[in-house]
Amino acid sequence: MKILVCIKQVPDMESRFRLNGEGTWYDEADLAFRMNEYDEYAVEQAVRLKEQLGGEPEITVVSIGPDRVVEAVKKALAMGADRAVHIKDDEYYRKDPWQISSALAAHAASRHYDLVFTGMQSQDRGSAQVGVTVAELLGFACATTLVGFAYEGGTITVKRELEGGSKGIVKLRLPAVVTCQLGLNTPRYPTLPNIMKAKKKEIVVQPISELLKEAELTGTAGMYPPAKRGGGIVIEGDVNDQLDRLLGILKEKTTVLRAA
Amino acid sequence: MEATREIYWNVGHAVVLPMYLLTLVALAACCYGFYLRVAVYRQAKAQDRLDNPGKRLSLMARNLFGQLKVLRVSGPGIPHGLFFWGFLTLFIGTLLVMLQADLTQPLFGLVILKGTFYKFYSLVLDLAGVIALVMLFGLTLRRFLVRPEGLRITRDDYLMHLLLTAIILTGFFAEGVRIAATELRGNPGLAEWSPVGLFVAKQFAAQDDASLKQLHTLWWWGHFLMVLGLIASIPWTKFRHLFTTPANYLFTDLRPKGSIAAIDLEEEGVEQFGAEKVADLTWKDVFDSDACTSCKRCQDRCPAFNTEKPLSPMKVVQQIGEVAFGNRDASLTETVGSDALWSCTTCRACQEICPADVEQVNKILEMRRNLVLMQGEFPGEEVMVAVNNVEVNGNPFGMAYASRGDWSDGMELRTLHEDANVDILYFVGCYASFDKRNQEVARSFVKICNAAGVRVGILGKEEKCCGEPVRKLGNEYLYQMTARENVELINGYGVKRIVTTCPHCMNTLGRDYRELGLEADVEHYTVFIDRLIREGTLAVDERRFDYTYHDSCYLGRYQDIVRQPRNILHAAGGRINEMERSEKESFCCGAGGGRILAEEKLGSRINVKRVKMAEATGAPLIVSNCPFCLTMFEDGIKTGDCEGKLQARDLAEIVAQRLQPMPVPSPEGLN
Repeated sequence: MKILVCIKQVPDMESRFRLNGEGTWYDEADLAFRMNEYDEYAVEQAVRLKEQLGGEPEITVVSIGPDRVVEAVKKALAMGADRAVHIKDDEYYRKDPWQISSALAAHAASRHYDLVFTGMQSQDRGSAQVGVTVAELLGFACATTLVGFAYEGGTITVKRELEGGSKGIVKLRLPAVVTCQLGLNTPRYPTLPNIMKAKKKEIVVQPISELLKEAELTGTAGMYPPAKRGGGIVIEGDVNDQLDRLLGILKEKTTVLRAA
Repeated sequence: MEATREIYWNVGHAVVLPMYLLTLVALAACCYGFYLRVAVYRQAKAQDRLDNPGKRLSLMARNLFGQLKVLRVSGPGIPHGLFFWGFLTLFIGTLLVMLQADLTQPLFGLVILKGTFYKFYSLVLDLAGVIALVMLFGLTLRRFLVRPEGLRITRDDYLMHLLLTAIILTGFFAEGVRIAATELRGNPGLAEWSPVGLFVAKQFAAQDDASLKQLHTLWWWGHFLMVLGLIASIPWTKFRHLFTTPANYLFTDLRPKGSIAAIDLEEEGVEQFGAEKVADLTWKDVFDSDACTSCKRCQDRCPAFNTEKPLSPMKVVQQIGEVAFGNRDASLTETVGSDALWSCTTCRACQEICPADVEQVNKILEMRRNLVLMQGEFPGEEVMVAVNNVEVNGNPFGMAYASRGDWSDGMELRTLHEDANVDILYFVGCYASFDKRNQEVARSFVKICNAAGVRVGILGKEEKCCGEPVRKLGNEYLYQMTARENVELINGYGVKRIVTTCPHCMNTLGRDYRELGLEADVEHYTVFIDRLIREGTLAVDERRFDYTYHDSCYLGRYQDIVRQPRNILHAAGGRINEMERSEKESFCCGAGGGRILAEEKLGSRINVKRVKMAEATGAPLIVSNCPFCLTMFEDGIKTGDCEGKLQARDLAEIVAQRLQPMPVPSPEGLN
């Protein structure tokens, strides 16, 4: 079995964001980067599947971006991926999800992957389009927002998180693309021997121009932070007074206390 | 009549040959027992513990003959010390007999035990015997009747108490009947130099010569054979501490307290990190289990054990021994249990009090290293998140690294990036940088520096976690990554002196960073401020207040700094109400060893226990010197229902409130 995991390196969400000069993306100065949270679930699930199958599957991890994304790639290798492809693109933020998906699909096209894992969305752009678009381009089955995953005899059974807290169980035959959601697993902390081994694993670097032949379908006209809203209220004092005041606020400003 | 006695009286010189042959057998059994044990020690890794032999020998001599570490807990310590000196005196007395009877007298005709010397010899030995007997009796009552909590009674304890008592008693009986048959009749004046022997002799005075001699033969042989039994049983029973504990003084860790063996991460082909099996520890770790006397002093002081957590440092040490001598391929981390390993706050109370120089903390650390580095295991998910945060943002909170210096906005303070020409680098640490409560401490410290005219700089967003919590959690890899970046940065600025407000940072920079090449001197701010006050550079208002002072583990026990903080608080007008557990015996706040990053899910809460101890002093204020302690106390005061009764302050806050303008302000110093 050949597994592909598509990952993205994103800024830590606690970072202090500023707009870049073009006003279309964030400035990378003073940002700390890490692997996109949802992609960590994807890597973890791929490694668990590899372990379940006695180590037979080969896991390739792919990431698009500037040189810094190698750090996220190394983490995926330390977690248990076997090899990596770094699709080098210093102007990654100018690519729309269609282009990113196309580049990934171009990479995957001739490599006969059986299963593609990725996050349900990136923490920075948050389009949630790449996974499904890659599936479409490759002609693979697809399930999104996974919170459960099981593999048996060429079929995967997944649990999807749906609207309003309900879940859906879906069976897919391979090849397939799945996108992973919080709750699917707890990503492992790489062990030191695996970190050491990861340093020796192959990372193929390929310029994005070799893979991407598509023009963008959407463009970013501008970005701006949300307007500042009123702050929260801290209710202090005697517990009974606090309750009265809270009830008052809930009655006046919300509908939660009105009879249905 | 010459004051002396006939050696081998009654038993006759014919016993010499069988006596020495039997002694040889006992010694052989003893040596063979240790030979077997040494083979077990050697399963583990090699380590040089015989460098600087002069210092080691002197430490051993002082601690053994002075019983210094044993005496620190006076209840059982004094009886043990007195027993030891008594028994040692008897042993030396016996050696003198041997020396004379079988060496100096037959070879040179030299008799040592005669005249005045013999009189004092008799007296001293009798007194030594009676002291040893009384102390032993007291210790027997303690162990078997009083039964202090945690003190176990094993087969060895029965054997040791019985055998030692019987040896002393048979010695006195043999002496007594000899005196009854000889001195009492021929030289009563001499008998008075053996008061205990004389007392025994009088009880037998009515018996005839033949029966006295019969009894003497019986007791002499009984005494002798039991002594041989003792010698032979040393390596096979807890008697082994007669050798292993003093040897442990010899093998003691001469490095600065708290030193940790760094893992060589560059070494190729290493695939095993931390201790999973006995073979991953050093021989000294196994030897420690033999040096341990189960005195449970460590356990009595362990903050985890005393809050119903599944950790006893004594048990950990002994479990390593059980695995080494039992099933050496068993998993240590499983035997000890990860809950026990994660409960340790590395407060060092165990190691500081251990009368046998056992090194508990690093054993736990080696096993934690195995859990983290080999198994990716942490005490909880929250800890894994915090560790990841250190990796990404250089602080366990996951706050943006770029906001690390924000607490100093509006203060007279520069970053070294702006201007590296400073008197001191204030290494702020994560808590004072990001934690709101501790930011007060950072600001207070800068105000103090400003008032003293000290040019102070910080690293700002370039500073990273010193790595201490993650290292103590076992994540040596991440520690070295962050530490190396800090070292390179600080050395790059040519910093001469670093001051920290965190004892954890201070220990790490001042000791652990040395092997990574840090050049600057490192000081804790209490030492720094104490010096400023003494030099007259800093003037502090004396305003009366009552307080109790908490010695943080990493300042008090690890750095022996207990005086300076009290001096400062005294100068500030403080009247101290000491807690029962203070200075080197201080009780941990619960946050050391990376526990600050972990939720305390097992047992009761350590910080509440400590806060209650502070409350019991009646002082309205608990002053500490560590951001972790302050955090734990603020929390403990709330959860322990002490709000309104007790407030927690850092020493820097107390000083900052009492700053006077500088007597002669220098324009440079105030810029």
